[in-house]
Amino acid sequence: MPTTVQLFITCILDTLYPETGEAIVRVLERAGARVSFPPNQTCCGQPAFNAGLRAQARKMAMQTIRAFEPYHGPVVVPSGSCAAMIRHSYAELFADDHKWLERASKMAQRTYEFSEFLVDILGVTNLGARYEGRLTYHSSCHLFRDLGVDRQPRALLAGVYHAEFVELPNSTDCCGFGGVFSIEHPEISSAMMERKIENIERSGASVVVSCDAGCITNINGGLHRKHKNQRAVHIADILDKV
Amino acid sequence: MVDAFHSRIKTSLADANLQLALDANAEKRIKVRQAAFESLPNPKQLRTRAHNVREDVIEHLDVYLETFITRAHENGVIVHRAADANQAVNIVMEIAFQKGAKLIAKSKTMVSEEIRLNPALEEHGFQVIETDLGEYIVQLRGEAPSHIITPAVHLRRQDVGKLFEEKLGLPYTEDISVMTNAARSTLRQVFLDADIGISGVNFGVAETGTLCVVTNEGNGRMVTTVPRTHIALMGIERIVPTMDDLALMLSLLPRSATGQKLSVYTSLLTSPRREDDPDGPQERHIIMVDNGRNEVRGSELSEILFCIRCGACLNACPVFREIGGHAYVGRDGTGSTYQGPVGSVVSPALFGQCEYGHLARASSLCGACKEACPVEIDLPKLLLRVRAGIGVQAPRVLAKPNTPKLLKIGVEIFSVAATSPKRFAVAQRLAGLFGSAATFLSKGDPWIHLPAFSGWGYSKDFPRPAAKPFHARYNARVNPEADEEHKLIPHSDASAISSPKIDDENLLTKFTVELEALGGKFYVCSTNEVWHKILEILQAHDIKEIMSWDAVTLPDRLLEKLNEAGIQVIFPTSENIRANNHIRAGLTGASGAIAESGSILILGGAGQPLTASLLPEIHIALLRGKDVLLQLSQVLQMGKIKQAPAAILISGPSRTADIEMTLTIGVHGPGELHVICMNDE
Repeated sequence: MPTTVQLFITCILDTLYPETGEAIVRVLERAGARVSFPPNQTCCGQPAFNAGLRAQARKMAMQTIRAFEPYHGPVVVPSGSCAAMIRHSYAELFADDHKWLERASKMAQRTYEFSEFLVDILGVTNLGARYEGRLTYHSSCHLFRDLGVDRQPRALLAGVYHAEFVELPNSTDCCGFGGVFSIEHPEISSAMMERKIENIERSGASVVVSCDAGCITNINGGLHRKHKNQRAVHIADILDKV
Repeated sequence: MVDAFHSRIKTSLADANLQLALDANAEKRIKVRQAAFESLPNPKQLRTRAHNVREDVIEHLDVYLETFITRAHENGVIVHRAADANQAVNIVMEIAFQKGAKLIAKSKTMVSEEIRLNPALEEHGFQVIETDLGEYIVQLRGEAPSHIITPAVHLRRQDVGKLFEEKLGLPYTEDISVMTNAARSTLRQVFLDADIGISGVNFGVAETGTLCVVTNEGNGRMVTTVPRTHIALMGIERIVPTMDDLALMLSLLPRSATGQKLSVYTSLLTSPRREDDPDGPQERHIIMVDNGRNEVRGSELSEILFCIRCGACLNACPVFREIGGHAYVGRDGTGSTYQGPVGSVVSPALFGQCEYGHLARASSLCGACKEACPVEIDLPKLLLRVRAGIGVQAPRVLAKPNTPKLLKIGVEIFSVAATSPKRFAVAQRLAGLFGSAATFLSKGDPWIHLPAFSGWGYSKDFPRPAAKPFHARYNARVNPEADEEHKLIPHSDASAISSPKIDDENLLTKFTVELEALGGKFYVCSTNEVWHKILEILQAHDIKEIMSWDAVTLPDRLLEKLNEAGIQVIFPTSENIRANNHIRAGLTGASGAIAESGSILILGGAGQPLTASLLPEIHIALLRGKDVLLQLSQVLQMGKIKQAPAAILISGPSRTADIEMTLTIGVHGPGELHVICMNDE
């Protein structure tokens, strides 16, 4: 019997990249999972949490927990920082609220980032995807440092036919997004993003793959403003192409 | 908006010179730290242990402090406690007045920066001179340090060349060794003339009352050895319970700070000069500074007190790399004593959320700081607490976030939408309409060019919100049956951590390799031949005078033989130090050695002047082959260390990398280290 996954699409993918959302569903299905989409989901609360507004963050986290509680099975999140928010930061958010802490920790225990779920739980690395061209990979901060997920997306990319994988110099350096940081400190964020773009250029790849929609929006926003040809894409967009 | 902070950020980003300096710092420091950790068999385990030790200390600080103070008192050290900055300054001032001091020589102490000691002393007519090369440079420039470990990291060699030309009259040079030499000779006189030496403290060992001070240049040894009075300033949190814990911390601190296995000089100071001792300070004071720390202990920011001030989080931080240490300023523009990720928590915790809380907002929360921290402080978690207003003044329930007003309104609106699926759908539809309108206006461009004041639009375009979000698209698909029983497959658990095997063969070979890698020289000979080996070294340098330990501490008739060969041997004491400052070589005996780091252990005490291994350009140390041990922890367990007034671990010749991180050998301590190993088997 195939695993049914509860997809938490995340607010950025939902609103900005619905096509990527569809690719995620297709890839999960191709990997042998059944995809369920709990309808009441909105945002995990990370923007408010990072802004320091914990009361608002708690409300959004409760909304998210409530939205997923009726649906059993693993929760799959196609964005590293949102997965990290649920897995690690909900405990901080509800530290003083035993009842909600327990509900949050139940959700945390069944939450996986997309690439982590494909490789570690479904045991898939080759999805039969094809990509003609040169790819590189940006390690998103929360995914890499908070969740320790790195080998999984790399394994998935290694399984893409015809793709030429090149290493991104300083792949684990932050791209400068940081959620509200990028609008509170645009000058610093911009300087960090410029380094990332320089490294993408140095890699020689035309496409930089990431597992976090925040990084993708940030890197692409900079690439477009600078009239560069390279693009950041979600890993599902690559894995979806057969 | 915090104007002072913002304008400092902009200034830093526009300063090309600073950017070059910061880039070089980040690239070099991260690499050397990683390389240094590779030489540890089990870094992860050590860091977790260190975290647990620090956690225990902060939790039971009262008990450890009492033990430490009792032991230090028994050792003859005068212990003072200062509740705040004013008290600490006043205690120093009282001692200085009482001693009739004029000149005060300081080695690095961030606590003294924190309590603003220098301006207070200067106001009362004392001359205060910083002796760490980096500190000396920033003092000459009238600046504060821009980094807790490398104070002049914001400068390049040209800046220092110009500064020394202007202030020291040194002809302009870009040769770092020439600049270092100029500082050496100016500061040597300061050490000799100073009435008081002030140092910081890296760790205080509770079980023995020992102070541990690490330096590379030798200035830390100078100010704690040469002046008649030594005052150590110590944050109350800098305690470790035992010598074993100290060994653990020392395995992490220099590696994290400068990529060294051990700093060149690790001073373990136990007592002041005793009756039979030839040198050392007559009086040793410790001022235990609280200045808000006890309050932080009881708050949800207490983890920040685990910090051992290695500076690794500054070097790893991408924000620090862009803006540098001087950009970290309080609301009123006052520089934050502590910078980078750790400073963005310490400063709000110790000196007020209102004044410094905004620093915690200048972080992308990328976690590079946490990853670099040798005591595993969860810095992103603490930064987020500061943002939420959780800290010393506010327990959780009363927390007042320091979110800027406009952002707060924005997030509040977003949260209203995101707490109801219906409202969220409406908001998405509105965003989609906005996106379509924007696309129409921009003739089909799927990117929105937001104005700079929006923050995002400063340097980035924004993708057009989809006319039909994923939610709507998904609902158009066939809804699969939800809710089935499924077992979760658990995460594969981490493989068991294997403990390293210690290879205790060839200790001497290992020691030799490490010592030589540090730039030290190594010789093996029989005890009878030692005098000849020494003579060869002296003759090669055309040296006819040597300051030496007492004959009874050295092999039989050694000094006699040197004398017969025409070498004049002088026994240095605090009293004759000025007259003997010109002597170029010093002879001592090592009581032990550490193979792992190529370090030798030199003990002070009767017949064993500390200055013989410190003042001359060339230090010759005699070592018995059987005294070489593998690890630091074994050496620190030697009873002799606790009995000696001061014990110094020396790892190579004195060095600095304070200018452009360029390694320069021979600063205040000897520039050459010769270890002669007597192997009579």
